[in-house]
Amino acid sequence: MANGNISVIKIRDILLVTVPSDPDDCTVSELQEQVLSSMERHSAKGLILDISTVETIDSFFARTVSETVKMVALMGGLTVLSGMRACVAITTTQLGLSLDKTLTALDVDRAMELLSDTLNRSEGRK
Amino acid sequence: MKKQKNASTPKSLDSEENFRLLVDSVTDYAIMMIDPEGHVTSWNTGAEKILGFHSEEIIGKHFSCFYTSEALASGIPRNELDLASTQGRIENEGLRKRKDGTFFWANTIITPLCDEKGIIFGYTNITRELSDRKKADYTRSLIEASLDPLVTIAPDGKITDVNAATETITGCSRSELIGTDFSNYFTSSEKASDGYRQVFREGQVRDYPLEIRNSDGRVTSVLYNASVYRDESGAVVGVFAAARDITERKLSEERIKQQSQEILELSTPVMQVWQGVVAVPLIGCLDSQRTQQFMERLLDRIVETNSPVALVDIMGVPTIDTQTAQHLIETITAVRLLGAQVVLTGVRPAIAQTLVHLGIDLSGITTRSSLAAGLLVALDLLKLQVVNKSDNR
Amino acid sequence: MNSHCKGEMPIDTENDIVMARKYVREAAVALGFGVTDVTRIVTATSELTRNIYVYAGSGIIRWHPINGNAAGLELVFEDHGPGIADVSLALKPGYTTSKGLGMGLPGSKRLMDEMEVLSEIGKGTIIRIRKWLKR
Ligand SMILES: Nc1ncnc2c1ncn2[C@@H]1O[C@H](COP(=O)(O)OP(=O)(O)OP(=O)(O)O)[C@@H](O)[C@H]1O
Ligand SMILES: [Mg+2]
Repeated sequence: MANGNISVIKIRDILLVTVPSDPDDCTVSELQEQVLSSMERHSAKGLILDISTVETIDSFFARTVSETVKMVALMGGLTVLSGMRACVAITTTQLGLSLDKTLTALDVDRAMELLSDTLNRSEGRK
Repeated sequence: MKKQKNASTPKSLDSEENFRLLVDSVTDYAIMMIDPEGHVTSWNTGAEKILGFHSEEIIGKHFSCFYTSEALASGIPRNELDLASTQGRIENEGLRKRKDGTFFWANTIITPLCDEKGIIFGYTNITRELSDRKKADYTRSLIEASLDPLVTIAPDGKITDVNAATETITGCSRSELIGTDFSNYFTSSEKASDGYRQVFREGQVRDYPLEIRNSDGRVTSVLYNASVYRDESGAVVGVFAAARDITERKLSEERIKQQSQEILELSTPVMQVWQGVVAVPLIGCLDSQRTQQFMERLLDRIVETNSPVALVDIMGVPTIDTQTAQHLIETITAVRLLGAQVVLTGVRPAIAQTLVHLGIDLSGITTRSSLAAGLLVALDLLKLQVVNKSDNR
Repeated sequence: MNSHCKGEMPIDTENDIVMARKYVREAAVALGFGVTDVTRIVTATSELTRNIYVYAGSGIIRWHPINGNAAGLELVFEDHGPGIADVSLALKPGYTTSKGLGMGLPGSKRLMDEMEVLSEIGKGTIIRIRKWLKR
């Protein structure tokens, strides 16, 4: 099982973080720590949270994710949640967690495009 | 060896004549002779009285004309002769037809007539009309044999008779049932009494739906066919009612309904209309169950086809209420979590009005009045996301 | 196969939440629930076992198939913790006494077909949830 094993890959100024399939609460909290420190270390501008293998999202997981998104934003980064499964999306919605301020993408490819698009645009505006 | 002719017929003319007279004087029995093929060769007064044919009309005709067409179709007259030949005699009860086409219940004895060599040269057929008592017994046994619950009701609504099937379906015995109100045994006694009143008023009812309640609580859906019956003077004595258990039919109707629901669902296709765009026309009413299934299919297809845009067309949705709107919003939210976006199309004026009146906020959702307009939005969205827009300008 | 669908385990540590999710997932899959319903059941399990862990410290989860007219899965979450003072308030979205989202109880209720909450201050809490197999 991929538990406890969070992979963080840096692609240019974007961090790709793969969330394990059935993480315990510790791993989820750890994920937050690790993401924030990596963002700082690599001075990354974008973060992709790949949750394509995640089978359940409960309120604790959702809360940690939206917190992380806010924290990353405070550090000047943009987060895209990528690859949520259909059954998970339905369940999460029904649970009442809309994660509505989070960007989403169908897969990592599209997340990369979305990020570079948005980052380029804000770059251009400066 | 000496030859002896017609051993079974009386030898002297005298006794032959006496026999003839005897046979003729019998009026309660139809006595006839039949040749080996079944043609009538002689006919007595009783036969004329019971079966209605004069002897000159019937002699030479085949005796199968006394049988019902069902009996003819299954070859019963011929069989009876064959059986009589092999067994030496048969006796049975059955329906017979008179000249005027009416039927009566008869007891028939057929005996073969043989010459001294044992060769059959004919049959005697003795047919007797069964007494009223016998007829009543027979009717009773038919009624008892019926798998359908049968009941007779007096004009005051009290049960006067029932068959075994009625005992089974109500869970009450004959003695418990007789004399009680017919309407007691239904989920809606009002509807039951309305029903038999209608029979007395109109003479009959057909396929009148009722639900019989068994004493153990079980309920059986039935259809009643009922009509009045009369005494000899023509006065209405009561109602004869036959119920047909339609539980099975109801079940299969439900099955059909479910199947057509499934077909309807299958016919809500999620089509890929463009690379990266799926479209689904919603048709009919959206209840929770259907929306659940629709939502699952739409989301699965979005993932499968890797489509960032989903066009949901609600042109075919007749009405929208808060719950339906809620389901739509849920679907749209879930689609967004996947990383795709819903464009709601086919929002007719009436639907737009209802949505505003219900206070449903769809402001965060892209909506268009037509599917075509929605497709334009979808392509635009794709350009924004996938293609560098300046390349296309 | 049905032996899979019945079981119980204590909830004492955080990791027990993960184990409960795993076992309940197996049970729901074995009973023939579709992937979305499985996710719903597992998510509710996650919420309710976490509530046990967070608010009561420890407790027990039991699950078993429902047979009869309608088939389904029933899960019971029992603890001898502090209990919930106002159950109907706790079932309101957003109500929390911790820094949670207050979505665990109301969300689980929406995910399942049936939910009953029995709770007494100082005695503990029993929550029973059911999901019916469609068709
Ligand atoms: N087993 C329990 N024992 C005692 N109190 C409980 C229990 N479960 C829930 N509660 C109370 O009910 C409140 C609501 O619970 P609920 O799970 O809905 O939200 P939460 O746990 O506060 O936040 P979330 O689950 O969204 O992270 C809790 O804050 C707590 O006060
Ligand atoms: Mg909780």
